[in-house]
Amino acid sequence: MMRSRTYPQFELQDIIQRFGKRKALQIPHLVLEGGEIYGFVGPNGSGKTTLLYIMNLLLRPTYGEVFFEGKPIYGDTGWRTSAQRKMTMVLQNPYLFNTTVEKNIEYPLKLRGLPKRERLGIVGDILDEVGLAGFEKRGASQLSGGETQLVALARALALSPRVLFLDEPTANVDAKRIHQLENIIAKVNRERSTTVVLTTHNLAQAYRIADRVFSLFEGRLVSPAMHNLFKGAIRTSPEATYFDTGKIRIQIPSEYKDSESGHASVNPDEIILSRKPFVSSARNTFAGVIIQISSGEGKVHLEINSGELFRVEITNQSFREMGLNLGSRVYLTFKATSVHIL
Amino acid sequence: MGYLSEALGTAGRLIFTLDPEILEIVGRSLRISLTATSLASLVGIPLGFLIGSKDFQGKAIVIIIVHTLMALPTVVVGLLGYALLSRQAPLGFLELLFTPRAMVMGEFILSLPIITALTISAVQGVDRRAILTAQTLGAGKIWVAWTALMEVRYSLLAAVIAGFGRAASEVGSAMMLGGNIRFYTRTMTTAIALETSKGEFGFALALGLFLLLVVFSVNILLHLFQMRVRVR
Repeated sequence: MMRSRTYPQFELQDIIQRFGKRKALQIPHLVLEGGEIYGFVGPNGSGKTTLLYIMNLLLRPTYGEVFFEGKPIYGDTGWRTSAQRKMTMVLQNPYLFNTTVEKNIEYPLKLRGLPKRERLGIVGDILDEVGLAGFEKRGASQLSGGETQLVALARALALSPRVLFLDEPTANVDAKRIHQLENIIAKVNRERSTTVVLTTHNLAQAYRIADRVFSLFEGRLVSPAMHNLFKGAIRTSPEATYFDTGKIRIQIPSEYKDSESGHASVNPDEIILSRKPFVSSARNTFAGVIIQISSGEGKVHLEINSGELFRVEITNQSFREMGLNLGSRVYLTFKATSVHIL
Repeated sequence: MGYLSEALGTAGRLIFTLDPEILEIVGRSLRISLTATSLASLVGIPLGFLIGSKDFQGKAIVIIIVHTLMALPTVVVGLLGYALLSRQAPLGFLELLFTPRAMVMGEFILSLPIITALTISAVQGVDRRAILTAQTLGAGKIWVAWTALMEVRYSLLAAVIAGFGRAASEVGSAMMLGGNIRFYTRTMTTAIALETSKGEFGFALALGLFLLLVVFSVNILLHLFQMRVRVR
């Protein structure tokens, strides 16, 4: 039990997936923590689905190892089977077995040897949860695209999985159902602490639902399209208007009004980094500690923890002159107008 | 035209009078062909599933061979069976020649390629997502196979019906392996052959119509079963 709490839920190490000569996926290292919602965005053919198949253990990567709760999957067959039973996936174009809705949702419960009465109880509850109460005896082939997606989701949720993979969950769903599906995903994550890993084309949707968003391009994880993206709500006071993430309050232009929830992003190029606080017209100053340093494209990328995690980019020269190291205490300063509300 | 009207009249008489010898022949025909079909299904469906779902070297050749065997002449099966089962033959000690068991063997060999071939084609038509879905929901290999077969259950039933049709209608191997012995190995098809050779064309045709009626009834039963499966 101690192991599963100490280790991340998933860890991918040196993963390479080839299909023939084509390298479909190359991920040196990726860690997913339990109980979070992760979004993977990218165009068609970027490797999103392949990554889900590898994590759902449907596909053994050509090279590399997948760790689930700290244990390697391909070192131990028994662990693979038991790990696989803790996760499930809803395919991009979900498939319902050629029978009734009830029998579809019962299927995974039957595999786990649950008695009939218990199975039917779960089917009723789960259909209620996804808003399809009374659909038990409907034939799977009679359902609309949105209903099919919801039944497939209900079938996956019936298992109470620790990890739920959703491949493009709203790709074949009308606008009305998208909102409903997103709410169900958020609720499942919140109430059951289910880790949700989803892929989408839709960047806005990824940021709307997910706690962390990764971008995939041509099989590689690339810098997210938006850095310093925070979830929170707009709050107004007589002095100022803030974006409150729950951990820090970021001052934003006063034209914004109160909102229930939303996202804000800060362009890394617009953040001034200093060793000491300095007086300026900029409205936001946060103290923080450097927790990661990497370089690329002629710049140094710094991850700074100041309540929220900020990414800042500085030149190699500035980096050298400031004598920065891991653990250095720094100050981040940026204008209210550098904050973009999404 | 004379034969036809005579045959229709005789067929009607056979049905309504329920001649005991005819009923006995019908019963034996059904027993033999249904046993052969059941055995061929037990072997042919798993075999067809394996061939259809696995990728292996020489798969195309295996499929071509199975397709070729669908056209296996019944008389060749009878001849080979005779060569193997006659008293001086390698399997003569089994004393199966001219017994209903030998007829079951012959019909089994005839319907097996049909059931196997149609199962292969049904399994190749299974939506790949059905297999992936079963796997993502935690199904092991046996359950995945069972789920895939259930997804094409109507096609499998059609395969079994086609296999039964082949077993019930063949005469070559039944005649050579059964010997058309009255009250022992005489079936509807061997009886038809005998009546034809005696010049009783009307009676032979009537038996033919009666055979069709029997097969029709079996098919109705299978379709009712299919509908029940569909509702479940």
